[in-house]
Amino acid sequence: MSADNGPLIIGFLCNWCSYAGADMAGTSRIAYPANIRIIRVPCSGRVDPLLIVKCFEEGADAVLVAGCHPGDCHYNEGNYYSRRRFALLRALLDFMGIEKERFQVKWVSASEGKRFAKIITEFTEDMTKLGARKAS
Amino acid sequence: MVADFTQQIRDKAKELLEKGTVECVIGYETGSDGFSARPAFIYESAEVERLIFDNTCSHNLVKYLLNKKGKPTAVIVKGCDSRALNLLLSEKQIDRDNIFIIGVVCPGVVEWGWNNHSDQLQIRCNWCRQHNPVIYDFLVGEPVTEGPPDDFADIAAMETKSTEEREAFWREQAEHCVRCYACRQACPGCYCIDCFVEQLDPEWVGIRIAPEENLMWNTIRAFHLAGRCISCNECERVCPVNIPLSLLNRRMEREVLGLFDYRAGMSEDAVAPLITFMKDEKLGIGE
Amino acid sequence: MSRIGVFVCHCGTNIGGVVNVPEVVEAARHMPLVAYADENKYTCSEVGQASIRDAIREQRLDRVVIASCSPRMHENTFRRTVAAAGLNPYLLEISNIREHCSWVHSDSKDATAKAIDLVSMAVAKVARHESLFPKQVGLTKRALIIGGGITGIQAALDIASAGHEVVLVEKEPSIGGRMSQLDKTFPTLDCSACILTPKMVDVAQHPNITLLTYSEVKEVRGFVGNFEVDILKKAKMVDYVKCTGCGTCWQACPERIPSEFDMGLGSRPAIYIPFAQAVPNKPVIDIANCRYEKYLKWKETEEGPEPPQCRICEGVCPTEAIDRSQKDEIITEKFGAVVVTTGFKTFDHSVYGEYGGGRYPDVISSLELERLMSAAGPTGGEVLRPSDGSHPKNVVFIQCVGSRDDKVGRPYCSKVCCMYTAKHAIMLREHDSEVQCYVFYIDVRAGGKDFEEFARRAQDETGALYLRGRVSQIYQEGKNLKVMGEDSLIGRPVEIEADLVVLATGMEPSDNADLIAQKLNISYNTYNFLIEAHPKLRPVETQTDGIFVAGTCVGPRDIPDCVAHGGAAAAKVVALLSQDSLTTDPLTSIIDPMKCVGCFACKEVCPFNAIEEQITRDKRTIASINESLCKGCGLCIVACRPGAINLRGFTSQQLLSEVLTLVRG
Repeated sequence: MSADNGPLIIGFLCNWCSYAGADMAGTSRIAYPANIRIIRVPCSGRVDPLLIVKCFEEGADAVLVAGCHPGDCHYNEGNYYSRRRFALLRALLDFMGIEKERFQVKWVSASEGKRFAKIITEFTEDMTKLGARKAS
Repeated sequence: MVADFTQQIRDKAKELLEKGTVECVIGYETGSDGFSARPAFIYESAEVERLIFDNTCSHNLVKYLLNKKGKPTAVIVKGCDSRALNLLLSEKQIDRDNIFIIGVVCPGVVEWGWNNHSDQLQIRCNWCRQHNPVIYDFLVGEPVTEGPPDDFADIAAMETKSTEEREAFWREQAEHCVRCYACRQACPGCYCIDCFVEQLDPEWVGIRIAPEENLMWNTIRAFHLAGRCISCNECERVCPVNIPLSLLNRRMEREVLGLFDYRAGMSEDAVAPLITFMKDEKLGIGE
Repeated sequence: MSRIGVFVCHCGTNIGGVVNVPEVVEAARHMPLVAYADENKYTCSEVGQASIRDAIREQRLDRVVIASCSPRMHENTFRRTVAAAGLNPYLLEISNIREHCSWVHSDSKDATAKAIDLVSMAVAKVARHESLFPKQVGLTKRALIIGGGITGIQAALDIASAGHEVVLVEKEPSIGGRMSQLDKTFPTLDCSACILTPKMVDVAQHPNITLLTYSEVKEVRGFVGNFEVDILKKAKMVDYVKCTGCGTCWQACPERIPSEFDMGLGSRPAIYIPFAQAVPNKPVIDIANCRYEKYLKWKETEEGPEPPQCRICEGVCPTEAIDRSQKDEIITEKFGAVVVTTGFKTFDHSVYGEYGGGRYPDVISSLELERLMSAAGPTGGEVLRPSDGSHPKNVVFIQCVGSRDDKVGRPYCSKVCCMYTAKHAIMLREHDSEVQCYVFYIDVRAGGKDFEEFARRAQDETGALYLRGRVSQIYQEGKNLKVMGEDSLIGRPVEIEADLVVLATGMEPSDNADLIAQKLNISYNTYNFLIEAHPKLRPVETQTDGIFVAGTCVGPRDIPDCVAHGGAAAAKVVALLSQDSLTTDPLTSIIDPMKCVGCFACKEVCPFNAIEEQITRDKRTIASINESLCKGCGLCIVACRPGAINLRGFTSQQLLSEVLTLVRG
């Protein structure tokens, strides 16, 4: 998205919970801003920090990783590992000058359509206020 | 006292080679400028007089053990280096039965360069709280008591800058980086056959020396070392353009210590924090 | 060069009403490697599917993108469409432009721009798809059941009646478990042995069941459908082919050892069956306590006093069935499924110093009371005080001993104790109409069918006094015991002189449940209860395919639940074994052996134990994936720093191409 269209948000959603939650937002026709582009993954544990850093270095304004609530992971443990991984990555990126608000991790269950829409709406608003990432 | 270390090391090396306990002793010898140390590989007991130990022995010799798989080898390690041994043991890269560890209570290492003697201790000695080797078969020197816990003042100083200032700081550092990968080559934690940065498929990092590619390299290397870096700081020492890599590695070290109460390389059985979890931990993520 | 076909769906007006579909189609025509793009009103309809099949053939397409509803809706449908046209079903990518686009964005310009982006991501991804082929693996149609209590017995019978072979392994000399030690069962007051023994006999006689008693599982290798198990058959010293179970030997044996079955309240000989209705009804020799075996051991060193050369059993046996040459034997068997039903033991109350610390003979556990009440027990069914053999008149019950108590590391409720204490109160009254029972309780939990009525019967009809409070101390005073407690409902301390105190001890998993779990690679919790795959929806499965758990080894539960559990596990096993081969999902991980450095970070993180070791030709020990176990979560890909692992269907190349198309495109 170009600067006049608002922030480019790339979302990695796990197939079993958060992607289904986003589908639920759709079936319930709950509107949210169109800035997010969703990439489906089997588990939030599949999301490689390499991908996230690449998103930012190539100019994405924000990244969202959404997974199942801890304890509910379809693969039993994936989100426990991703929780640790992203806690460290977020600290590292913030230290290097990518505001930690730009990289969000959220747990969304398959039934939380309304919550998903709210998360995206708030995230888009916050990122619009924060402004675009410095062009590389 | 430190001169005494040299003699103890030579005697031990001689004993190990003569008995055939090891095929090679990896230690330090004086470089061709006459006073700064460089790595030495001693295969004959007659050669042990080459070995020295002084405060220019900065190199982390553990890295060389990766080439000695299956061959009984002795290695000289300081406190920080010894933690690298535990790291590589826990990651199954070296075999405890094949190494003889000569641990040295480290007197600190000085800043040095070619023909440029200095008495100034390297920055890593300020934060070092591991002068005593954590694993050894033979100890040179008397164990010392450590100072108060590291306060990570260098990291805190960086954090007083705003996000924009930090971004500008690292972008400038990234502009200096020439992607020589000396940092990776010197690091005992970097041993991948096909480092992610060399891969063409997928091509995570292109070949251009451009800030965004360089940042990708340095960020991911710091991440791959999170929970594994043992703070020998050899990476920063060998960097030809003086990028303060210790800031990145120690930022992760402080985070890992704070979140998981974990220090890398303290035990060969330890499980690194990124390959384990606690169900009920609260890490400020996702809540 | 790939030829990608893009099909954009209107979905009536669901998509077409917001997204400018022709504009998306036109944009798709210009995307890299796209050879053909078209639109459909309803792609999932027969007309729509036919148009895709035709386009694949006519346009020689080798990959397909369908921009429509969520893949969670129709990915399988469209995979079949594509396969029908001769293309591998995995050369397909669905772009979600309905649930994630037209249904949530009202501005047509924004929605169309987003739809174009989503389609371009799918095009970039599908360009990197490869044909994938599910694999078939064979399976062994035999089931192993570890633990021969009521749960294991039920599971064995159900699987065997479905026509599959079952091997039931039990470490004691007889099956029956805890239920065989009970006198009566709540709430029906059925005689426990009477309802259990017919099932035990069925197990022994069923043609599909092989019963291995006095045996233990030593090692388990393999994976679902293909387990290989080492079973240790302990030496019984009796030839079961010759033995008729006449009982002459165990009646003649002079040795007496405290009986484990009778909780130490009675004794048994060294050659013994644990109880009268034991199955098999043939004895074993307890080598550690047999006089002649001790003599043979003494002969090796001749140190110390010489034990007698007894051999009375051999002398009296009419069929010469005693065989002292037997040795422990390890056999290896193949199975397709394993069911763990290792059951429970009761909490050791001696840690409660305030209740006597195990020193007072008249402070007994509930299971010890069951043995006293049992007609086949050490006192012939008379409830007698262990200290002097007299009949108790004032019996105090203390609930929650080793349950609901953080201080002894058992915070959970053991579920059955309120009910069995009610049963004990009722039974004691039946044995002796003068007995006065007191029950110190926290709550009375009677949730099952007819349970509340039963518990009320104990409270209302037997004269038992239910006191809501804890007991702070029991001490011996003369012949009797002083019980100091509290009745919290009237807020007063209570002091009772009792001649028998029964502690309702909690349930915990049998010894070595954790070791069995480790052998099988299944999880267990802090208390060693085995962990099921999902506490609500998958109560008898585990994270490891092909290994099932049932009964009290999973958590405290009563007999009806155990029987149901055993049947549930049997149903799962039968479903598994009814297949002729197992199909694997091809969306699994794959390791590049050239890049693997053998650090096994992948093995640490894999939730399904799908990572194995392999040795390369150049003698490196590296990781490899067991594709039958891999569930395609992708954790290993990220744990691998050198990037040696990739995930089919969500490869690093595919995901990166989606990102790059968005940021650079």
